[in-house]
Amino acid sequence: MRFSIKWVLVLLTFVVLGATGAAAEAPDFAAMLKAVDANGDFGSQDYSAMFTIVTQKPTEKDSVMQVKLFRRDNNDQMVWIMQKPEAQKGQGFLKVDENVWMYDPESGKYSHSTMKETIQNSKAKSSDLKKTSYGDDYTVAAWEEGMLGKYPIYLLTLKAKSDEVSYPMLKLSIRKDKPLALKEEDYSLTARLMRTVLFPPRYIDVAGKTVYSQMLIEDNLNPGEKSQLTIADVSVAKLPDATFSKAFLGQSAR
Amino acid sequence: MALATIAFKNLNRQKKRTILLGGAIAFGVLIVTLIDGFSGAFKQNVSENFADIAAGHIFVEGSEKTASGKTLTVIRDDTVLTDVLKETGIPAQYLSKRSIAQGTLIFESKKTQLNIQGVDFGNERYLTERLVLAHGSFAAMSDRQGLILSEQTATKLNAQIGDRLLFQLTTVTGQQNVGDMVLVATTPDTGLLSGFSAYANLSYLNELLNLGNGEYQTLGIYLPSLAGMDRYATTYYDALRLKANVKDRSKTADTQGTGFGPMAAFMGGGTTEDTWTGVRYRVFTLDDLLSSVQQIVNVLNSVSIGILIVLFVIIMVGILNTFRMTMYERIREIGTMRALGMLRSGVRNLFLLEALFLALAGVVVGFAAAGLVMGVLSLFNLGTNSPLFILLRAGHLSFHVPIAQAIENILIIAALTLVAAYFPARAAARLSPALALRTTK
Repeated sequence: MRFSIKWVLVLLTFVVLGATGAAAEAPDFAAMLKAVDANGDFGSQDYSAMFTIVTQKPTEKDSVMQVKLFRRDNNDQMVWIMQKPEAQKGQGFLKVDENVWMYDPESGKYSHSTMKETIQNSKAKSSDLKKTSYGDDYTVAAWEEGMLGKYPIYLLTLKAKSDEVSYPMLKLSIRKDKPLALKEEDYSLTARLMRTVLFPPRYIDVAGKTVYSQMLIEDNLNPGEKSQLTIADVSVAKLPDATFSKAFLGQSAR
Repeated sequence: MALATIAFKNLNRQKKRTILLGGAIAFGVLIVTLIDGFSGAFKQNVSENFADIAAGHIFVEGSEKTASGKTLTVIRDDTVLTDVLKETGIPAQYLSKRSIAQGTLIFESKKTQLNIQGVDFGNERYLTERLVLAHGSFAAMSDRQGLILSEQTATKLNAQIGDRLLFQLTTVTGQQNVGDMVLVATTPDTGLLSGFSAYANLSYLNELLNLGNGEYQTLGIYLPSLAGMDRYATTYYDALRLKANVKDRSKTADTQGTGFGPMAAFMGGGTTEDTWTGVRYRVFTLDDLLSSVQQIVNVLNSVSIGILIVLFVIIMVGILNTFRMTMYERIREIGTMRALGMLRSGVRNLFLLEALFLALAGVVVGFAAAGLVMGVLSLFNLGTNSPLFILLRAGHLSFHVPIAQAIENILIIAALTLVAAYFPARAAARLSPALALRTTK
């Protein structure tokens, strides 16, 4: 009996030491999340890209929307020009601070509104307009290692730091070899899976950063509803100042 | 008096003509009175029915600023609100404490946007007394995830009693949330307001909105009737201002229909931002919520006046021609009266009196016919489950003709009739007695 107790103690010692050792080996997840965030942050550089969104709904025909986006975050300026669907082609939007101008190619007229009005008159949430940062908005509540396809990953359970972040809990799969997310699961306050975002490992290298060229978004509350977002023509080349003007909206429509 | 007697006898002499002209006037009065009666009751009925849906005549909504500057709609402690109510002695029949969530209800592959009201079914007997159920029972709301929907919404979702649905919403702080709900009862289709007829348990809806136990968003004060609503609201507002931060009521009036918070959900309103901190309340009434109803009443009143004028312009042409014809028919009679010493003004007044009597007779008959038609229409019970229920009083069409409106109509009719009769009357008065006596028909 004494022998057994001794061995149990030895085993427990190993377990405790092993756990301590494992804890010591836990990666710096805060730094990892910052690195994932940094991939999409172009800082003071201008940014332009073509976004194509294909939306599938079980009861509707697939819809395609294509938007050319120009951003100058330093001045809080953004321009987006609709390319598809054909009915909306040429519609342009210019956002400068809180002001939004819309150009209608049919009438050739501009209309002005503010972001506040735009939000109030739409189903958009203010959180939709605020870029979520994994590093700033979430803490790592749990983690484990695993495989996603052929990629070894860290599966992190993230909890929102405040109750003003859109999704209270995320499960984020990050590649072990690079600070790139492969999958994100967004959960409601009641811990129900609301949507899954897949980041296929097809990347675009721009200005020393690796950005996703595709995202697949699945609505888990409405089975069969999904969207595919494709990003192309990404550039961080300096844009002419005239890009962020009303005149540019009109020119782009021609 | 003699003139009045002659005028009356003249009208009586041409019975068919008098009945036709008076009938035309009566028909105009009937139509206009029916419109006035409908518009008079319209606002009252809509307000009373909406008071039942919104559970109050006067409302107090609470707002709270977070450290980050976000405005949350919540009443965490209502002590000051209920204390002020007691102090002011407002005769509140019921108090309702509700939260409202805007979101998407999902069932299988179907979904719909709607507002769900969180109701404390244990204490708010008021709702169970007034709300008619098509299927299911209030007892089933003992299931904390219980949900009552209008039949229209349930049909749209293809959901049956007992089905589990998902409700996707954002919490008061803007977080995404999803709750399971069980359809336990349905209300009859109420037309436009079907989208508002969705009720869940307050405690569960609060949980989904990330509100605490005992917290809610809007306090509804249900008065015995609409009478005195504005006066009581002003009394309450003045008293509450002395004890708490209350939004300026004049600003509330400026933003009618676009207020913030759950009541705005009814009206499709948005958020009104300004600089304040801590906790603030907003006091508003049904009138603030239903400003569009007053606009409809104003439109109906304008339509009624328009119809009155169009109808009477047509009738005036008839009166003008008839009186001109009457003048020629009675030309020798006029000559005789003038030869016997009747003054020109006497002849003119005789014609005008005939027109006035005709108008008054038409008005009396028109009002009587309108009263009869309104009475008969009010007898039909359209039921409280009618899509028109918002316009009805306890399932019946109801009418209310404001006295001022009726007097205004009588004056307009009398004036128009006298104007129409004036020209033939003047022509008759100007006839030379000798010429009139020589004239042969």
